Amino acid sequence: MAEEDTKHDYPDAVDMPAPSFWPMILAFGVTLLLTGIVTNYVVTLVGFVLSARAAVGWWRDVIPHELHEEVPVRHPADWAVPVRTTGRSVASLRVGAAHHRMRIPERVHPYKAGIWGGIAGGIAMAILACIYGQVAHGSIWYPVNLLAATVLPSISQAGETALGQFQLVAFGVAVGVHTITSILVGVLYAVTLPMFPRRAPLWAGFIVPLFWTGLIAATLALTNPALNDHINWIWFIACQIAFGLVAGFVAAKTQRIDTMQNLPFIERAAIESQWSEKPDGKGRQ
Amino acid sequence: MATVDYPLEKSRRQREFSLSEALYSWVATVDHKRLGLMYMTSAIIFFLIAGVMAMVIRAQLIVPENHVVGPQTFNRLFTMHGTTMVFLVGMPIIAGMSNYLIPLMIGARDMAFPRLNAFGYWIFLFGGILLYFSYLGANGLFGAGSAPDVGWFAYAPLTERAFSRGTSTDYWILGILVSGIGSIVSAINVIATTLSMRCKGMKLSRMPLFVWVMVVDAWMVILALPPLTAGQVMLLFDRYLGANFFNTQAGGSAVLWQHFFWIFGHPEVYILIFPAFATVSEVVPVFSRKPIFGRQAMVGAVVAIGFISFGVWAHHMFAVGMAPISNIFFATASFLVAVPTGVKIFNWLATIWGGKIRFATPMLFCVAFIFQFLIAGLTGVMLAVTPFDWQLTDSYFVVAHFHYTLTGSFLFGVFAAIYYWFPKATGKMLSETIGKWHFWLLVIGFHLTFDPQHILGILGMPRRVYTYAPGRGWEPWNMISSIGAAIQAIAIICFAWNVIRALIKGERAGDDPWDAWTLEWTTTSPPPEYNYETDPEVRSSRPLWDLKHPEDPDWKYE
Repeated sequence: MAEEDTKHDYPDAVDMPAPSFWPMILAFGVTLLLTGIVTNYVVTLVGFVLSARAAVGWWRDVIPHELHEEVPVRHPADWAVPVRTTGRSVASLRVGAAHHRMRIPERVHPYKAGIWGGIAGGIAMAILACIYGQVAHGSIWYPVNLLAATVLPSISQAGETALGQFQLVAFGVAVGVHTITSILVGVLYAVTLPMFPRRAPLWAGFIVPLFWTGLIAATLALTNPALNDHINWIWFIACQIAFGLVAGFVAAKTQRIDTMQNLPFIERAAIESQWSEKPDGKGRQ
Repeated sequence: MATVDYPLEKSRRQREFSLSEALYSWVATVDHKRLGLMYMTSAIIFFLIAGVMAMVIRAQLIVPENHVVGPQTFNRLFTMHGTTMVFLVGMPIIAGMSNYLIPLMIGARDMAFPRLNAFGYWIFLFGGILLYFSYLGANGLFGAGSAPDVGWFAYAPLTERAFSRGTSTDYWILGILVSGIGSIVSAINVIATTLSMRCKGMKLSRMPLFVWVMVVDAWMVILALPPLTAGQVMLLFDRYLGANFFNTQAGGSAVLWQHFFWIFGHPEVYILIFPAFATVSEVVPVFSRKPIFGRQAMVGAVVAIGFISFGVWAHHMFAVGMAPISNIFFATASFLVAVPTGVKIFNWLATIWGGKIRFATPMLFCVAFIFQFLIAGLTGVMLAVTPFDWQLTDSYFVVAHFHYTLTGSFLFGVFAAIYYWFPKATGKMLSETIGKWHFWLLVIGFHLTFDPQHILGILGMPRRVYTYAPGRGWEPWNMISSIGAAIQAIAIICFAWNVIRALIKGERAGDDPWDAWTLEWTTTSPPPEYNYETDPEVRSSRPLWDLKHPEDPDWKYE
């Protein structure tokens, strides 16, 4: 019986590093060594002696072999309670049925949906901005010139009259800035739309433009002081919402595509092999 | 003749023996858990001392033209408060948490260099004692000054002999220098332990996020502290050997000190906040009952923050008058830190999103951390805008910003850690009721104290003024701020009471009170000296989940 007790698959004792007070003595010695600078050289001397003695003691603790002490292992009755299964099953996400470890969204809009959405939204925004220019300042070139001031500092100095006139360089710059920004924001819309929980077009049309406007309002004084001085925020927000609604609508209309996350790497990489799916989808070779 | 045994006498002798043995066992210990607890206990004691100093500061500022303390004492108070909080509270907490938790989390029996570990603790402690000895030593020997009064970043040339007589500044230099050795030693140990002592199956990709963050933190300590030490040694040369590194009257450069200090000082802010990151990354998933969202991105973000933080230091120096290109570079780099930081905040929120949330005390502190850290980050981005910084530099806005970072974020993260791992370290549960009192009082007190300081800064109140004239619109905000500080003090009393009560008659914790997933919860509370009877083996980043859910283990997906 006693023999049985000594047979087990865990060690009787574990070798642990032996305690040592030399580290503390060395720390104290080093501190005194430096304290002498602000007190007295005798303190430094004492610190040196302590440090040297502690260093020797420490070395003898570890050379030629590190000192260990055997710590007896506790009786199994005192061990940690073995981890048990919880008895609760893990709830699966309903979307996508079987693959509860999927990354959401499983299906997304293609990038080109964002590009077309951005272009459409950009046109809607430009039309509304030109209407504002005509109604409020008698010239459709007014908002065009203000936008160009982002890149052309000279326009920042222009007066009301000059801002209402057609300027070829400013027109080119404004069209460039507007097109690039619209496409980039459109792509951003397409990427983010599937991530919204529900009513994505509402987010795209109203909420996101309001956030975007807030961001612009906070930074416009730095990025485009001219626009900041002349901006009409009501019209500006209306233009943003026009962009959001149109871009969101166009992007949301497109067919979503699978992210391929559940396909094995070999298929995602489009490698043809004997393990690939047959074209008819009936099993593997 | 039969000997008479006196049971009471014998028991007293035994007790004496066991007391002295107990004392020896603590002094000579090289056990990572004991050293971790010693670090944490020392940090908490220094925290209480610094807290009392903060209370006196706020008492002085509660009304205009107040005279609770004089200007010299006030200077010493804010210097010692800042220095203590950064070097004697923040740094040992990092070492304490790393020491206690990392070996347990990676399935090791101890740290890689146990004796060096003990040396690190003691030299930190003696460094702290040396700093506080200045109250006696500096004054007693030279009759000029007592504790350091040069602020926690000790700008040159005010630290030169001509402006700082006596030895108080020397105590500041030496105290930090000595305790810094402990931080470096601890960091080396963390890296060596993590790289060489992980249990079977624990690849780097399966290492708990806590350990990942603390390893990056350790690298940052090793890289950031030497510039400060170099600057301090140069300052000692200036003060004792007649060198003129920072002496502007002899061709030295005061700005050089600022570079030396802030190339340490800004990474130091991240060094201090990382234990909070590490804690939140462990606590939030457990209390949301979901795995961390974007684990790889979290690791990437923390590494990115580590890198970028070394390229932003001069945003503390916009007011110095650097070249425009320097301003632009450091402003842009500072904006860049917001990106990985935003990733972390997003991932914590995404972990909570849709989770089955348990608002236990550790989780409450984490939620407050996320909110307050976000605000701290936003005001940080504001201060990274050079012209904005020019307006508000050295104002109470800056004080509010960094207290949002170090109190609202770091301290809340540390409290989350204490409430979460206290049961593991002591085997006793902290009271949830008192914990919630602690939490809500601290939240209310914190916001009352530091929210108004943003306004005070915008209204033009400079930092470090010991009093102010009435009629500038500062009175109500200072009054609110000081009342908030008193409420925070009550919160800390609740915390202290909770700890003492738990140690005396706390409910037994069991091995795994939170139904958690990392390895430390597989051993007893408190763990034995050797941590694990048999060497653990893991197959995923959540080994306990695998054991609890054999029908759906993580290793199938990692």
